[in-house]
Amino acid sequence: MSASPPLVPLLLSRFALRHARLAPRQTALLVGILALGVAVFVAVRLANRAAVASFTHFTDTLTGRSDWIIQPAAGTLPEAVLPELRAALLDQPVAIFPVVETTAARVSASTTQTRFGRASFTLLGVDLLAVANLAASPESAESFFARRTADSGSPADFWTAFRRGPQLWISPTLAAELGSARTLDLVINDTVHSLPLAGPIPTAPDAPRPPASLLILDLPHAQQLAGKLGRLDRVEFIVAPGPQADARRAALHATLTALGENGTRWLVTSPGARRETAELMTRAFRLNLTILSLLALLVGLYLIFQALDGAVVRRRAEIAILRSLGVPENSIRRAWLTEAAVLGLAGGALGLALGWAGAQVAVRAVGQTVNALYYATTVDSVSLGTSELLLGLVLGLVASLVAGWWPAREAARTPPAQVLVRHAAASPGAPLLRSAWFGFALLALGTLAAQLPPLRFAAGGRFPLAGYAAAFLWIFGGGIACGCLLPWIARLARPLRNHSALARLALGHLAAPSGRHRLAVAALLCAIAMTAGMAILVASFEQTVQGWVRRSLQADLYISSDGAQSASSQNRLATTTWRALAAHPAVAEAGVLTAFPLTLDSTPTMLTGTSLRLLRARSDLPWVQPPLDETVFDSARNTSLALASESFIERFRKKRGDTVVVPTPAGPRTLTLAGIYADYGNERGSLMVERDHLVAWFGDDQATSVSLYLRPGADADTVRAELLRAHPGLAAFTNASLRAEILRIFRQTFSITYALEVIGVAVAVIGLALTLISVLLDRRDELTTLRALGFTRREIALATAGEGTALAACAIFGGLAVSLALGWLLIHVINKQSFGWTLGFALPWLPLAALSATVLATAWLVAYAVGRWGANLPADREE
Amino acid sequence: MRPTAALLLHFLCLLVPFCGQAQSATPDAPTFPTTTAEGFAIPQPNPHFTFPRDHGNHPQFKIEWWYVTGHLYTDATTSAPARRFGYQATFFRQAAPLTSTTASPSAPPSAPPTFGDAQLYLAHMALLDTQTGRFLHQERLNREGWDAASSTTTLDVRNGDWSLRLADPADSSTTPALLLRGGLRADAAFTLTLTPAKPLVLFGEAGVSRKGADPSASSHYLTFTRLRTAGELTLRTDAGTEKLRVTGESWMDHEISSSQLSAGQVGWDWLSIHFTDGRELMLYRLRLRDGTADPASTLTWIDATGRTTRAAHTWEVIDRWTSPATGATYPSRLRVTTTDPATNQSVSLTLEPLARAQELTGGLGGIPYWEGACRIRDASGRELGSAYLELTGYARDLKL
Repeated sequence: MSASPPLVPLLLSRFALRHARLAPRQTALLVGILALGVAVFVAVRLANRAAVASFTHFTDTLTGRSDWIIQPAAGTLPEAVLPELRAALLDQPVAIFPVVETTAARVSASTTQTRFGRASFTLLGVDLLAVANLAASPESAESFFARRTADSGSPADFWTAFRRGPQLWISPTLAAELGSARTLDLVINDTVHSLPLAGPIPTAPDAPRPPASLLILDLPHAQQLAGKLGRLDRVEFIVAPGPQADARRAALHATLTALGENGTRWLVTSPGARRETAELMTRAFRLNLTILSLLALLVGLYLIFQALDGAVVRRRAEIAILRSLGVPENSIRRAWLTEAAVLGLAGGALGLALGWAGAQVAVRAVGQTVNALYYATTVDSVSLGTSELLLGLVLGLVASLVAGWWPAREAARTPPAQVLVRHAAASPGAPLLRSAWFGFALLALGTLAAQLPPLRFAAGGRFPLAGYAAAFLWIFGGGIACGCLLPWIARLARPLRNHSALARLALGHLAAPSGRHRLAVAALLCAIAMTAGMAILVASFEQTVQGWVRRSLQADLYISSDGAQSASSQNRLATTTWRALAAHPAVAEAGVLTAFPLTLDSTPTMLTGTSLRLLRARSDLPWVQPPLDETVFDSARNTSLALASESFIERFRKKRGDTVVVPTPAGPRTLTLAGIYADYGNERGSLMVERDHLVAWFGDDQATSVSLYLRPGADADTVRAELLRAHPGLAAFTNASLRAEILRIFRQTFSITYALEVIGVAVAVIGLALTLISVLLDRRDELTTLRALGFTRREIALATAGEGTALAACAIFGGLAVSLALGWLLIHVINKQSFGWTLGFALPWLPLAALSATVLATAWLVAYAVGRWGANLPADREE
Repeated sequence: MRPTAALLLHFLCLLVPFCGQAQSATPDAPTFPTTTAEGFAIPQPNPHFTFPRDHGNHPQFKIEWWYVTGHLYTDATTSAPARRFGYQATFFRQAAPLTSTTASPSAPPSAPPTFGDAQLYLAHMALLDTQTGRFLHQERLNREGWDAASSTTTLDVRNGDWSLRLADPADSSTTPALLLRGGLRADAAFTLTLTPAKPLVLFGEAGVSRKGADPSASSHYLTFTRLRTAGELTLRTDAGTEKLRVTGESWMDHEISSSQLSAGQVGWDWLSIHFTDGRELMLYRLRLRDGTADPASTLTWIDATGRTTRAAHTWEVIDRWTSPATGATYPSRLRVTTTDPATNQSVSLTLEPLARAQELTGGLGGIPYWEGACRIRDASGRELGSAYLELTGYARDLKL
């Protein structure tokens, strides 16, 4: 043998490859399933990464990278800190870089319909002249204010450009999009501005490319447009390059921290820390998506296992011959594993392509959710990196090797003396996988895991690892236990056998199910359980949100800036504007709300001010824990009281009666949490205080939104139209349109979840077909006999359809049962632990029935088609 | 005049449309128009200066600078010989063009804006360590505002963490002490006290220093020709931080104008000498396109009491140096021949740069120039004193 060519390649080419050639469709299907599994995972991963990557620290574009940033825990800094900082840092060579940042949105095309989620921009105001002093960009000042080109070198442009008033520098991407436009219309706060375009943002060669959503203005103009005259959002510091940079950086940090007075004046942070916070904020959300994306791969794993196992059984005779020819066990095992690996790599490669295509769609859905819940993102495209390439291939490979391990072992163990007759008994599968008790043990273990608390990250992130473990244990356990139900179904359906030979034929196979039958059931159960479980979660969520919206949205009109398009939006209504709205003759009462982003314990949250009396009088706040008395609603007595949202309580691990120290420009305020309310609009949590106090602390009387309660007889649509005419920069919702909009955003955030579930079910149904194909292939002798007995093709197809439908029914039954448990788990453990929202349980009868019916009908159709195909199988065709 | 201003002028004139076009009905008439075409003031003869106010900012003029150069020495110790440094610290101010919307230039805004757009401040720093030959330089450009400003009541001009001010802001004496704070990125920093050894010198005729035939091309040129200097110099390397006590002598120009240019001038050379005998010399040459010097070029002697005397001179380049950074070729050793007013004898002054590479390579200002510490020898090779030499317009013509 030593002179002969290596054995494994020979086995592969003469043995495996021949089979692949003979059954190309089956091989293709297998690769396809693997590809789909890999694709879903890759798509979600790409979309997630893009959503996080789009959180750019925008000043990096100009400064290279700042060493430190100071920003107040809430609100803005006065300009007076600048000379103070310079005086304090005289002995430390450092560039001091004040920044004003706000958001703006494109002007809405439609005036009749108001929607959130339009393209929004980050407006960055920096001293465009001082930028030139940074080593990173010595030519910037010149390029910002006087572009010297070969032909139009009129440097007089400098002063003209410098003193022209607000003008925008835009990203090359946006410049390309806008073409020859000279101005850009933007809604900033409550006003529409038509701002001239100064040109593309000049960047140093090694600086990051400016993101498409970045707009740059000279700082005083940004202050003016953002309504922040005399105020700064943050100050960045760039230590001078040169010797002892690390020591100087550390010394600067110490000075800034000392000047910040323990975080009460400002917090000292770095661009890296800001990016990290954004990553942490969305980590739970991204992990949840990733887990869901593994569903299709998980279902695929079942199927590959099954397909390879089927192939082992079918080729057992040949293996026996090879073994008797002296081929060692190891070579056979290696040949099988190699075959699985090739399948896996092919599936992985195809999956990458599909995943990349899918990501182009998924990224928008992920981006919208991140936008709605966390911060403004600007994902326009995703690209496949080396890590994804590797990951996709490895995932396909590992999946196929894991699934192929058992069949390869089975193949290698084929005794040489295996009877050389065809109808080898179908493999009943590993004994453990046939044990109902094992299934029940897994279910019990899952129940234990469901009781464990979540993992906690920095920046308030939590991840319900044990909850997910419980879900997987239940799905696996349910699958195994459900496989054991097949004989029971056959027994239950025994009365049918007396009526029809077809039924007898179909049920006969179920009475003693093969491992493949069990696997098909388990795979389908997995998909159905997760889909139905998610449907229960979404239904419960939706019902709860609808109830919450109904109770808390009682005003007739809701008005905010039309520039506010994201959870992190900073657009405000000027005092004159909201006073004008409140003074409209049709308005009986106006609720003014002001919200400030707030950082507590390095964790971002919100501080909201409104009239608590009005809130109590006008809306039915859904309490988780109501205040014990009326003090908090009395503006004369509630200076040191606050209401907290449920998410806040979860995030900061507080309870009613606890105190929270809130840093404000007027100094730290100690607030006692008087009550806890449900709020499904914001995952960061919020503290609500009396607005009058908030205005006094922050010295800022602008409003984030205004709710108007109209006089009896006033028509909300008429008033809305009137207000919008007077204030074109506002967004106004009537009560009904706001409710609809909230539900639209809500559903949008689940759109990607639905897509993932649908793919999972589709894979499972394909898997059912694959099972039946291999089952029929095993039964070629039987089919020949049946035909000889006079069974028609249609009858054989019907019998197969019966068998397939029974499998599906069994999986649906088990899947729905597990989904109830999963629904409970998702609502009370996973969601509560990830987001801190309490939801009522709601069972979506209709979607669940539709899902069951669809799966059942599809199963019947697929099985029938397979049966028709099988009925034509020649008796002794190879495979 | 301080021709280094050429640097600023170049920068500014590239930016300013009306630069150098003075309003003048009869260009050859020796009368001084009062304002430029833009509306900025033109220096008038026999100005009445009051101090400390006139050490400060004059916003009715378009261009203004405070320009310090000097030589610093450490004391020799038993373990180390004395070290010698040359330094330059320059603060420029430039006003925005006046437009119909801006008020009269002489009316300063009531409260200085945090981010203004009416004035630009440019500053240059340079330091030569003669022991290592290392020459450091840095430029900084800021708008008038929180990080760059100058006072209109006293000497107090700053740009970032660099500043020049009176030790006592209200000091109205003829020899007030000055405080200078400067540095070069993270590599060096200095805080110096400059004490005038003589009263302020007013160059030019009747308080007006002419820069060419055009009567608007002129300035008020106020100089402390000899400032006793003491302070601390910090040198930072990765190995550690050195804090050196230094003493020495400096020169400070304060020049106020709205236009400094005449047609046909392609560059400027400027020289200041501290003689060990207590006298000083200042020379500026305005080079014309044909290689000759503009007749407005001037050499002035300052005697021990601060009295000035003009003298004719010749200028001879002995050696040249080509900058590897910019490719410009500068005179490197020079011989200036003039008449010593004390003896009425001709003297030959040879300038030897303490290092050849003392070029500020340009960046924000747009043009490179050479400004460096030199020593002065007579024809017999005897050392007469120290000098600062400035050479502009060698990298390319200062086309206007």
